Amino acid sequence: MVNALDPQNMNSFSEASVSVEIETEDMTLNIGPQHPSTHGVLRLVAKVDGEKVHDVKPVLGYMHRGYEKLAEVRSYPQITTLVNRIDWVAGFSNEIPFIAGAERLMEIEVPERAKHIRLILTEMARISSHFVFNGAYALEVGALTPIFYAMEDRERVLDLIESVTGGRFHPNFNRIGGVKPAAGAGPTSKKNIQDLPAGFYRDTKVAMEKVIQAADQFQNLIGGNEVFKKRTKNVGVLTAETAEAYGVSGPILRASGVKSDLRTQTDYLPYDQFDYDIPVGENGDCYDRWDVRVKEMVESAKIVLQAIDSMPSGPLQAKVPKVIKVPQGRTYVRAENPKGEMGYYIVSDGGLGPYRLKVRTASFSNVSILPIMLEGALLPDLIAIMGSLDFVLGDVDR
Amino acid sequence: MEEFFNNIKESFKEATLEFETINIKIDSTEWIDVHKKLRDEFNLKFFSWLSAIDWDNEVSVGEAPKESVSPSFEIITCLSDLDNTNLVTVSTSISKSEPNINSLIDVYAGANWHEREAYEMFGINFENHPNLEKLYLPDGYEGNPMLKSFELISREVKPWPGDVDVEGMPEESESDGSVDG
Repeated sequence: MVNALDPQNMNSFSEASVSVEIETEDMTLNIGPQHPSTHGVLRLVAKVDGEKVHDVKPVLGYMHRGYEKLAEVRSYPQITTLVNRIDWVAGFSNEIPFIAGAERLMEIEVPERAKHIRLILTEMARISSHFVFNGAYALEVGALTPIFYAMEDRERVLDLIESVTGGRFHPNFNRIGGVKPAAGAGPTSKKNIQDLPAGFYRDTKVAMEKVIQAADQFQNLIGGNEVFKKRTKNVGVLTAETAEAYGVSGPILRASGVKSDLRTQTDYLPYDQFDYDIPVGENGDCYDRWDVRVKEMVESAKIVLQAIDSMPSGPLQAKVPKVIKVPQGRTYVRAENPKGEMGYYIVSDGGLGPYRLKVRTASFSNVSILPIMLEGALLPDLIAIMGSLDFVLGDVDR
Repeated sequence: MEEFFNNIKESFKEATLEFETINIKIDSTEWIDVHKKLRDEFNLKFFSWLSAIDWDNEVSVGEAPKESVSPSFEIITCLSDLDNTNLVTVSTSISKSEPNINSLIDVYAGANWHEREAYEMFGINFENHPNLEKLYLPDGYEGNPMLKSFELISREVKPWPGDVDVEGMPEESESDGSVDG
């Protein structure tokens, strides 16, 4: 046994200790389920080797409400209330594909005016969802200020949604065959339904101009920030090949350079009547994912402004039977939600409710990519990568 | 879409086109090969989802099928290409007594979580799955909640609230009960 404290041995000991390899053990790190950056209750169990993360296991189910089972014991009009709560940041857009699926099976032609109102509110939901992302993501990578701007601007959009539907987060506004008469509308009779509240066009124009300004402001405030760039550029790069095999969709897929947008490629709402761009990223890193969403806000605002100018007149509801029975058949309707492809696979047996309702949500597939993206990432980047996926746990767990 | 459907028809004679969706029914033994073919030859690289349907005549939730069905699991995948112009669903039937099917992970990596969900919700066994364990449900949870035989406890305590709204409406008995907005 060599005594290390003996001055005679000092020399040889220090030489020996340099060549000794330090054995380290991987540490298991638990994140969540109530970590502020997890947008709900996602739990990650990660192995940490120094600053490097590997073997990340997402643990789901803390927000599982079993909507697919509940839908089997409810009638079609009741399910609209349920699906509102899947992605609560953009509640309105969850209703659209479900209602469109039921209408498709029932062969109902929805009046143009109702379609336009749906489209306007869907785009507003997208804007409000992206506002939340902008504020929250900046907060996650260390900038405190932007969330206050984002929340203030989002409020303007939520006020508009509320003035039409009566609800800020859970509008429950769509009906099979059209939309319900607006909350702020005057006395309704069958002949003269005042659908949109007074001053809606004026307020919307003001709010949309503000959205475009806000997006510009974010580009300067966040995008131009050197710290933000350093934290997000070339971090969490996702290739298009990996993304498509995992079913990753929406802004994340577009940030990886794929020009894929269900709004232009399917016809669940009349997007073909409007002129807008689809922002696409180049590198597929965190910065691109942020950038695509900011640019999308501007495009959404442009769509809303055009839709208001070209609002057709006419009824809000098609003729539908009082008791909704969907004919036997099956259909899958998908829509471009703020977070990606959302769709409902309705299997109807001709009853009051579906025999089976499969809910395809964007965040579920988007989060399934996390173990791949976080493999070998640095610990501080974990939050930056996770935040850039912009998921909501209601949308993951359903 | 028409052209694509004709191409599909050359390989899969029984494919149908309904609501802009191509449906292909296959035998469960071809499950992997068909998906490989669709991915490589038909460029359907986007894996949208995988799920199952429990077909059974005796149900404890919802309504039973109007026509009698042979009890089985139907497994469905939904694929598309990145232009989103072509949408294809592939379905197969497996028996309920031996609910085994090959895992799709080698073809589409994204099938992983979808298969774990179908495993816990329906009790379907995906062979060669590297990590077939519960996704949502807590450890020790017994039963497969999405089975039609799985009871909703709240429905036992209280009948379906929808009955109150739907039953007894005068229009239901009339043959043409359409109303205006």
